[in-house]
Amino acid sequence: MIDNTEIKKLTDKAYEARRNVLRMAYIDRRGFIAQALGAADFLTGLFFHAMKYRPDDPEWEDRDRFLLSAGHNAIAVYAVMAAAGMIPEEWMDTYGQDGSHLPMASMPKYTPGIEISGGSIGLGLPIGVGMALGLKRKGSDSKVFIMMGDGEMAEGPTWEAAMSAGNYHLDNIIGLVDVNGIQADGLTRSVMVTEPLDEKFRAFGFDVQRINGNSMSEVVTALDNALGSKENKPHIIICDTVPGTGLDFLIGNPKAHFISLDDEGWKRAFSELKKGEE
Amino acid sequence: MSKGVQSVISDSNVVTSHPVMAEPFGNALIELAQTNDKIVGLSADLAKYTDIHIFRDAFPDRFYNVGMSEQLMMCAAAGLAKEGFIPYATTYATFAARRCYDFISQAVCEHKLNVKIIGGLPGLQSGYGPSHQATDDLAILGAMPDLTIIDPCDAVETMQATKLIAEYDRPVYMRLLRGNRVPLVLDKYDYTFEIGKAKLLKEGSDALAISCGEMTMRCLDAAEELEEQGIHVAVLHVPTIKPFNRETVLSEIARVNGPVFTAENHTEYGGLGSLVAAAVAQEKMQADLKKIALPDRYLEAGTLGFLQDLYGISTKTVKEAFTAALR
Repeated sequence: MIDNTEIKKLTDKAYEARRNVLRMAYIDRRGFIAQALGAADFLTGLFFHAMKYRPDDPEWEDRDRFLLSAGHNAIAVYAVMAAAGMIPEEWMDTYGQDGSHLPMASMPKYTPGIEISGGSIGLGLPIGVGMALGLKRKGSDSKVFIMMGDGEMAEGPTWEAAMSAGNYHLDNIIGLVDVNGIQADGLTRSVMVTEPLDEKFRAFGFDVQRINGNSMSEVVTALDNALGSKENKPHIIICDTVPGTGLDFLIGNPKAHFISLDDEGWKRAFSELKKGEE
Repeated sequence: MSKGVQSVISDSNVVTSHPVMAEPFGNALIELAQTNDKIVGLSADLAKYTDIHIFRDAFPDRFYNVGMSEQLMMCAAAGLAKEGFIPYATTYATFAARRCYDFISQAVCEHKLNVKIIGGLPGLQSGYGPSHQATDDLAILGAMPDLTIIDPCDAVETMQATKLIAEYDRPVYMRLLRGNRVPLVLDKYDYTFEIGKAKLLKEGSDALAISCGEMTMRCLDAAEELEEQGIHVAVLHVPTIKPFNRETVLSEIARVNGPVFTAENHTEYGGLGSLVAAAVAQEKMQADLKKIALPDRYLEAGTLGFLQDLYGISTKTVKEAFTAALR
């Protein structure tokens, strides 16, 4: 059953995360804004509903592991980590600057709580397979959550890892694919057709759900399903998201992969940002 | 072929005069795993050909065969190391070095994870053609920060290194000498493997050979034969390519009155010979450097003995190179 109070609380948190995205991107007046806004809802669901962790103890052995595989969306993860108290809020005002704890691509060396370097696309699921095997060896019930992108699905090792995850029945893996439809050279469907992702993952032995990744109720339901599943399979939640969610004037921008805004754009962004769908 | 010491032709079709030993890496890993429960093994469908199959049979629940997915294997090893295990991941050296570079770099070495990468058929050890001839693994992987690179000479050193690197909490790439008939050489010398240490195995006043891997065996064999003719070639064994033991190499070069050979089962670019030459140049030393190495080209297919003679890395051709320079 969906708890409406919980959903409302999460929607507020997602709004806070979106404000954090704008706060960081404003430093350089540009960045991976649209994807980060699109990813804010399912990331909020992960960090404020599904995952087990201690904000002040990133190495806690019993934590659930979170791997950002599509490392360019670090800004989205920092935004949620700041909202969760995992990193100091003031770090956000240094995002992407020399000496910052928050580089544009996420790396463990710089940021506590970041588990892997995600700048080279396609490493998350492969490393996650090893961590999931290791956790099982240790008898741990911690999960490995892995955030991937749809463009990333063109990387071969993702599928080597999917094959292994299915082969070893790694039911402690919960992967999320952010299908935002954009990548460096344009629309994903015009660069390389990676769909149908649900059929592909199912064929590799995954328990597959496909949701509107900008609906908090759907996000929470899908995460609860995966966590409560008795299926002896790895889980994948394919999240269809709309880049720019929360800022209507960004939606549909064909150059959404890396956005620059002028002063007027920033004024609009801060004043027009709205909450996502419950 | 049964385990143990015997004097027959080697795993390939090359005659060795040395006693031999079966599967030194696999046996050492089994011994190690008996006292260290963090040890796990991985292979990418080459367990049988990298000697880890005997570990698999001894510890079936501590072994993962990930199929022909070398890139995944390196990342999975990184994940296992992150969770506190010590993974030994085996494949052929060509696939480790060429196919997996980004994965070893970004998943393993950037985070200094305790992963041991074991590369079979390093250098020219296969007559199968360039796909299986890792003539460039030291050059490729030598460029990677925080990776320790080891090129053992024989079965003795392979066993010692296999065990020692487990306690060495950082990424290691080790070239693998595998099969039923790995030569036993270094037990005849007063030698113990230490990570990062070059050691003089044989004194000699006429020339110095600086070598790594199985080329140390061939240099020793050639040098011992030349002793009978009154020619004295010293042999300095450099089993750790990275970090490079520059000081010992330079001090041995300074001691010798004659040509200095470098000998490696590797392309002439970016391996031991290049490291020695650069060190000598940086010190503004005078040295008559002569490089024994594979040529900068894709090698032919053929029988191994034929190819080793053709490319000048057999004991016979090493001896000829020594003799020609000392004539």
